[in-house]
Amino acid sequence: MARELELIISGVSLGGLYALVAFALSLTISTTRVLNVAHGVFFVWGGALFVIFSQRLKLHPALALVLLTACFFVLALLFQWGIVRSLLGRSTHRLLVGSIMATFGLGLSMESALGYTWVTFVDPYPVFTSPLAMFPVSLGGVSLSGSRLVILGFVLVMVTSFHLFLQKTFLGKGARAMAQNFDGFLVIGLNPYRLSMILFTLAIVATAISGAFYVLAVPLNPYEGLPLTLKALTVVILAGVGNLPATLVAGAVLGLAEVTTSQFLGAIWAPAVSLTILFLVLVLRPTGFFGKGVY
Amino acid sequence: MTGGAVALLCALPLVLSSTWLLVMFLSFVWLILTANYDVLDGFLGHINLGQGAFFGLGAYVATILLNVPSIQQLGPLTHVIIGAAALAAAALFAALMALPLFRLKGLYFAIGTLILIFLLQVLALNLGPLTGGSYGLYVPPAFFLSTFAGYYLALLMALASVGLNFYLSRSTLGLAFRCIKEDEVAAHSVGLNLMKYKTLAIVIASVPSAAAGILFALNSGFIDPNIALGVERSLLPPLMALMGGTGTVLGPVFGTAIIRVLETVFFHYLRLPVPSMLFFGITLLAVALCIPEGLMKSRWVKRLQPRGGTR
Repeated sequence: MARELELIISGVSLGGLYALVAFALSLTISTTRVLNVAHGVFFVWGGALFVIFSQRLKLHPALALVLLTACFFVLALLFQWGIVRSLLGRSTHRLLVGSIMATFGLGLSMESALGYTWVTFVDPYPVFTSPLAMFPVSLGGVSLSGSRLVILGFVLVMVTSFHLFLQKTFLGKGARAMAQNFDGFLVIGLNPYRLSMILFTLAIVATAISGAFYVLAVPLNPYEGLPLTLKALTVVILAGVGNLPATLVAGAVLGLAEVTTSQFLGAIWAPAVSLTILFLVLVLRPTGFFGKGVY
Repeated sequence: MTGGAVALLCALPLVLSSTWLLVMFLSFVWLILTANYDVLDGFLGHINLGQGAFFGLGAYVATILLNVPSIQQLGPLTHVIIGAAALAAAALFAALMALPLFRLKGLYFAIGTLILIFLLQVLALNLGPLTGGSYGLYVPPAFFLSTFAGYYLALLMALASVGLNFYLSRSTLGLAFRCIKEDEVAAHSVGLNLMKYKTLAIVIASVPSAAAGILFALNSGFIDPNIALGVERSLLPPLMALMGGTGTVLGPVFGTAIIRVLETVFFHYLRLPVPSMLFFGITLLAVALCIPEGLMKSRWVKRLQPRGGTR
């Protein structure tokens, strides 16, 4: 019994990590339809900058988070101004193709820039871990990693606040309108550039902070960005694009599936299982487990 | 003009050093993948990020069969058998995958196809006894393909792939594909069997790619999951096709040429103090933003062409 419980707990906490990587991507794909392949790279950069601020510059973690937010605010504005602006006016097919190509290029260059500078100037063995590892918490005879609990809490708060933002605020309603009908959105006089700027700023800053939380529990290396994007896409599609609360559930399902597979078939089959689940869900139910959710 | 270019390419091995011959051979391999990618994107309007899966499947099936002792002893028949088996495997895989994949559209189709290459990669890694796992597989030395012969075979295959796209741009079959690309409902209502044409498209796009995989495996003598099924085998062909312009016959040719030149210059020539990948990424970004429709459809090239010139 205790073993099953441990499996479930480690699966769910792994799922929390997946949901952490995925939710901001879900937000931007569903509203602006720009598929940001560089998402995982932003995530890794968030973790790396946090480590630089808190570990190398010896800043207080809270101050480091504030600085991180400021940096990524600027980066997000540049991203919107340089890339998203010129993509938005295109037809659906061209938008998808153009966004994959542009953000893939951006992701490649950001990834190699980070890897190169880190290896040359900071540490020849580039792994980002946070010094703030939490002590384990014991609950009913099963020990839990404290950092993972913090992460789980952070994801819950983030997803809930983004969900409320989309549901209750005027801007959130505008974002949903943009997702549902772009022409109608233009006809009623809303400005897609302004709205996508706000959405991307929120999403990228949230991604960076998520990266900072991720390194609490799992070490990252500079070249993990693009594989992480794929992981995030898996979760987004399992949940249904734009369905933020469901990303939590989808992350947990994926985490549980992977943990059980590694337990019973060996760790080498874990990626195969998550890919197969993704393929089956795509083919049998392209809108995800939970239908279209918010939209 | 086209004939002249082909004649030039045929004469080229006489003057090239072996390094450059290899560079050209690999460029032709990429060109085959790119031209085949364009069958689905340019003509049928589907973004296929799984083109590398066919390449890897061809390479793996051929190499696995070459390592079977009874097949090695068949003399000249060996090449025929492994070639036919690898091409048939790729075509069968494409036909089987068409059924689930073409239920998807747009982003979902792109991701669905991207999964294929990752799945094959995981299988190649985990089915150790058959594929050698992460250690990879060696081609028996007796079956190596010299770069000189490989050059001509790859050139032939590349010409066939571009020729296939030319045929599609002029024939009723290509017209049917483009009709489906523009409007599936309208295409269906004029009596086109959507599933039949889509399956046909992915099958004819898979066979030359598998052939490219066989040539690559026989020439390099060694394959492993990262070489034969690396994700760049799936991601670079779309980028090359987009750079040249999708749906144009010559677009993939120019796109492949440009990216290969950039790659060669950045990765082999300029000994830059900073990583080449940085510049490569920035180049991709710039192209995506500045010439979104690709070179062949950009304003500057259109101005050069006479009316009704090459499509």
